[in-house]
Amino acid sequence: MIDYEYKIPADLHEVFTLLKEYGEKATLVAGGTDVMVKIRNTRKAPEVLISLRRLEDLRYIRKNGGYRIGGLTTHRMLELSNLVRTELSALHDAASQVGSVQVRNVATLGGNICNAAPSADTAAPLLVLDAAVVLEGPGGRRRVPIAEFFKGTYRTVKEPDEVLIEFDIPEKMGAFGSAYWKHSRRKAMELPLIGIAVSVKLSEANEIEDSRIALTVAAPTPIRAYLAEDFLRGKPFTDQVLKEAGEIASSSECCTLRTSLRCEAWYREDMIKIFVPRMAKLAAERIKSR
Amino acid sequence: MEKVSVSFTLNGEPVTIEVPTTWNLLKVLRECFELNGAKEGCGVGECGCCTVIVDGDAVNSCIYPIPEIEGRSVLSVEGISGTDGGLHPLQKAFLENNAVQCGFCTSGMIMSAKALLDKNPEPTEDEIRTGISGNFCRCTGYVQIVEAIEMAAKNKEGNF
Amino acid sequence: MSEYLYVGKSTPRTIETDKVTGRAVYISDLRRPGMLFGKILYSRYAHAKIKGIDTSKAEKLQGVRAVLTGRDIPEVRVGFLKDQTVLKKDVVRQFRDEVAAVAATSPEIAEEALGLIEVEYEELPAVFDPIEAMKEDAPLVHEIDARGRPVRSNILPLPWKFSAGDIEQGRKDSAYIAKDNVRTTWVNQCCMGTSGCVAEFDMNNNLTLYSQTNVPFLGKQRIVEYLRNIGLKGSRVRVVNPIVGGSFGTKLDTDIYEFIAVQLALRTRKPVKILFTREEEFRALPPRQPAIFEIEQGCDKEGKLTFRKVEAILDNGAYTSWGATTPSVMMMPISSLYRVPNVSFNATCVYTNNIYCQAMRGYGNPQATFAVETSMDSLAEEAGIDPAELRLINCNKPGELTPMRLKITTCPLDRCIKTVQEKINWKEKRGKRNGRGIGMASLIHVAGGARVYKSDGHGIMVKVDQNGNVDVLESGTDQGQGSPTVISQMVAEALGFRPEDVSITLGDTALCLWDAGTHASRHTFMAGNAAIRACDKAKKQILEMAVEHMPEIVEYKLKRKERKDPDFQMPDLDYSLISEPDKLDIKDRYIFPKNQPEHPYFRMEVSEVLTRGLHVGTGESKVVVGEAFYDPPTEMLDREMKGNYSCTYAFGTTAVEVEVDRETGEVKILNLFAAHDVGRAMNPTLVKGQIYGAAYMGVGYGLTEQLQLRNGRVMNPNFRDYKMLTAKDVVPVVPLVIEEPDADGPFGAKGIGEPGLVPTAPAIANAIYDAIGVRITDLPITAEKVLVALKKKAGEQS
Repeated sequence: MIDYEYKIPADLHEVFTLLKEYGEKATLVAGGTDVMVKIRNTRKAPEVLISLRRLEDLRYIRKNGGYRIGGLTTHRMLELSNLVRTELSALHDAASQVGSVQVRNVATLGGNICNAAPSADTAAPLLVLDAAVVLEGPGGRRRVPIAEFFKGTYRTVKEPDEVLIEFDIPEKMGAFGSAYWKHSRRKAMELPLIGIAVSVKLSEANEIEDSRIALTVAAPTPIRAYLAEDFLRGKPFTDQVLKEAGEIASSSECCTLRTSLRCEAWYREDMIKIFVPRMAKLAAERIKSR
Repeated sequence: MEKVSVSFTLNGEPVTIEVPTTWNLLKVLRECFELNGAKEGCGVGECGCCTVIVDGDAVNSCIYPIPEIEGRSVLSVEGISGTDGGLHPLQKAFLENNAVQCGFCTSGMIMSAKALLDKNPEPTEDEIRTGISGNFCRCTGYVQIVEAIEMAAKNKEGNF
Repeated sequence: MSEYLYVGKSTPRTIETDKVTGRAVYISDLRRPGMLFGKILYSRYAHAKIKGIDTSKAEKLQGVRAVLTGRDIPEVRVGFLKDQTVLKKDVVRQFRDEVAAVAATSPEIAEEALGLIEVEYEELPAVFDPIEAMKEDAPLVHEIDARGRPVRSNILPLPWKFSAGDIEQGRKDSAYIAKDNVRTTWVNQCCMGTSGCVAEFDMNNNLTLYSQTNVPFLGKQRIVEYLRNIGLKGSRVRVVNPIVGGSFGTKLDTDIYEFIAVQLALRTRKPVKILFTREEEFRALPPRQPAIFEIEQGCDKEGKLTFRKVEAILDNGAYTSWGATTPSVMMMPISSLYRVPNVSFNATCVYTNNIYCQAMRGYGNPQATFAVETSMDSLAEEAGIDPAELRLINCNKPGELTPMRLKITTCPLDRCIKTVQEKINWKEKRGKRNGRGIGMASLIHVAGGARVYKSDGHGIMVKVDQNGNVDVLESGTDQGQGSPTVISQMVAEALGFRPEDVSITLGDTALCLWDAGTHASRHTFMAGNAAIRACDKAKKQILEMAVEHMPEIVEYKLKRKERKDPDFQMPDLDYSLISEPDKLDIKDRYIFPKNQPEHPYFRMEVSEVLTRGLHVGTGESKVVVGEAFYDPPTEMLDREMKGNYSCTYAFGTTAVEVEVDRETGEVKILNLFAAHDVGRAMNPTLVKGQIYGAAYMGVGYGLTEQLQLRNGRVMNPNFRDYKMLTAKDVVPVVPLVIEEPDADGPFGAKGIGEPGLVPTAPAIANAIYDAIGVRITDLPITAEKVLVALKKKAGEQS
């Protein structure tokens, strides 16, 4: 029968003490929407769950030059934030489409990223916004670019004794427009069949100064489509250019698409082709209308 | 079995329970308090039948670990009627507009709607639909539910 | 103005206030003293021999009260064709086969005990495709039949062959012919309340089964028969419905878990509850029957249908439940939707090692109508006739006797077609091929019962007490459709009381009279007709009582007035106005002389009469009780599968406007108009609720829902991967209630529970064709299928 201890530390210091005490027996829980479901579905539990829910001071969205988002910020906070909606639009697109209101009320950005599912909606926007992940452990704090954070499906570079403290998004990304498309069969309670995030910065001559493209469910982890980004840099913002970028992003040089019960690989490929241009255009529109 | 003692406010009253650590809020409401309004429709946070309000937010009680409830305030459908036993405007509107068919989703649906209206008393149709998008209903096609929530929002005789 | 006070009004569902306050007791909420919890161990293979089962570890687990396997209970066959046992002893034939069961003091302990049961299997070759299964060398799902005779084929001994007229002549008369291949898939009913029951024996071996069944009396009989067959000859059975969290067909058969609960209760002598998890609900509940159709139909130069020929193959799964009888309903649209003189329909049900199937809203009609109505559009295109026009040319008409011998009485199908045509702006919008398109489909469905058993009867009992309260013992069930509200309106109308005076007890075989079940959209029709008859009797008793007691009541009141007011002049009253029951009537809780309804002394609250007349203490005391058993004048299908099995039929037409994204294949529904012939709406708000809910379910059937099976295993047993639509997936349904009171319907009503679903999917498919010129004939119409078809078309063109 499922049995576990459930620890609720009051602050980070207590978290580290508990992590040290229980070591590998322990699992961190943020909102619990992944961990509790996994326990129920697998009928297996770690010996100790260490809850981060009382670390209220890790729930914040701040702009001070760059953007800082606390690890325990809920999806609902992101969804309701005007700042996120206007300046980090792709993250808003993703956060407001995770699960349901009930899930978004408790599920955290840090939790979504640490769970490291290939389908993690918020990973793609964080990738196109150049976010850095700030981790804290017994040895102090370190920063990892989000593009280096995922090691594999459900695996990250975060050490078991580390806590995800915050996401830092550089100030310069505020000048980018961004958008995320979650391609799914219905409008809520979904995982993406494929997720496409694009950020762009256009010159006055309507050339692409810089751009990022990220994909979910396109590989064992959320990924950047670097080749497509390289292709775009310096090119005019035209339908033809965007179309080619979509083709590059969907190619096997960028992703390893597979057929699963949820969706066939060819369809995922097609949708990357369609939505890289569509999201790039949406991102550009957004920056213009800001 | 690890046990945990938890004190919290339930429908306005302070309560204390001692239950296995592994229990979730839904199980506690049903087993300790015989509050059967919140239902298990899936047990994994995918259907919304177990929705209650914790500290003002709608949550799936089936995946809410009971130790986390310590010190919090929980409102279930049993707690929203007036102290005189009168129905909440949402409850009235649901009955009036046929927003209840089999009724299994109803408690959760009403709690999601209440959490929405508490924060956003004049929601648009899209905001209502977002507010209840985590509550599946197989009977109604949602139309009369959305209308009932609109009716209740317009007819604010009670407290939201 | 309606002549009625209560029917036809949108009475709120106040009678069900418990449902909005969390007080309603569903099976999940039901507790009985000392109750144990049962869990079922299912097969690990689609087809295997059971070599051995070791339950010893499970038995030793603390809290376990019983562990049962097929070796522990009598091997008694159950089910529609008696082709399965309760616990499978030697062979499993599908993943959901029940291999063992546990009763324990908590669900968690029972669950843990399941994990301790060791079963040794030897895998057998399996077959998952019905067409493969029909081949001679296919692995046999069953080696012997119910009587122990060897079986040579997977084809069920249940041939559905229907023919009327002459197909070859029809073909010769045709100027145009269309032929289509159509497929539909497994769909889960997705009741929000999962399945479950509580079985409880008393010390005399009498059983109470708290069951969600919507056929309490047939269900009871199945259990009685089962108990008899396991040796409990004198056992009485009472079936009681708790509040039911949705049905949509799932509660039509007595499911195996109910027999298992009975066995566990018998073994432990304790009440035993079995409650499905959502995963079980997907894995172990019979879904809608999938079907493969080959449909061919023709018309002459004027567009008059000449013939319709349909061959169907139904994947039965491993056992036979009601799914295998869906051809009896498929036959209805195939033979009788639009006027077609020559019809042939053959359906073959095939055993496979897939999950076995059951009924779901519409019972075969959605599958068959999808075939017929997509084919109508194909034919319209062949003939160069507007699809709406083709439907109007062949429209059913009142007074028609269809090839299946259905007697069409009221039939506003032309009104339904024309109404949606106008609403959707048919002429303007059709034929653009610009990514937006419109389409329509119609339906015919039973709306006055469905005689599938010898009796299609329905019993009701109406009692009136001295307070003027009316208790109705209603033999049907409510799974959410709102019967209590509608019945209270009909009883109030028929008896002359108010809906709030009426309380309803449903679904209890000990209290209520017999009923064939709440299925086939029959409850309002049956209960209403029975209620009118029962109320007539009760009313007569009250009126007789009134004749006896009204004069003394009036005199008493007058005398009192005289005492209080010395100036009061005693009126000279004409007591002949109230001297006969026939001269009196009751309405809105008041009794009055028909000739002078507003009479100042003879008009009085009916409770005044009841207080005097009922159990008066001296002299002859009385009760007011009326009962009725209404069995409509219908026929069972004869050997040729013909007969008027319903008292009346409902028609309807749905028109849909879609927008198709040619790049993604996604289909968006922009408009959906659903015009439905309801006879007379008893409660317009509730009627609309049925149409909204059914249409939305139909959109899911058309576009997103699919129970995905791989080699017999359900791969998406959760709401994340089973794509039931959410509130965010706006389905803009506009229900259009077409009223043409039916002479046989109570106050003119017809059934409307199922129809809304039936034409939805084909209307969407036809609209998609209009939008992009590709016809998808395989449900659900996913974005991938649309894209593949578009690519194929582009390839053909280039």
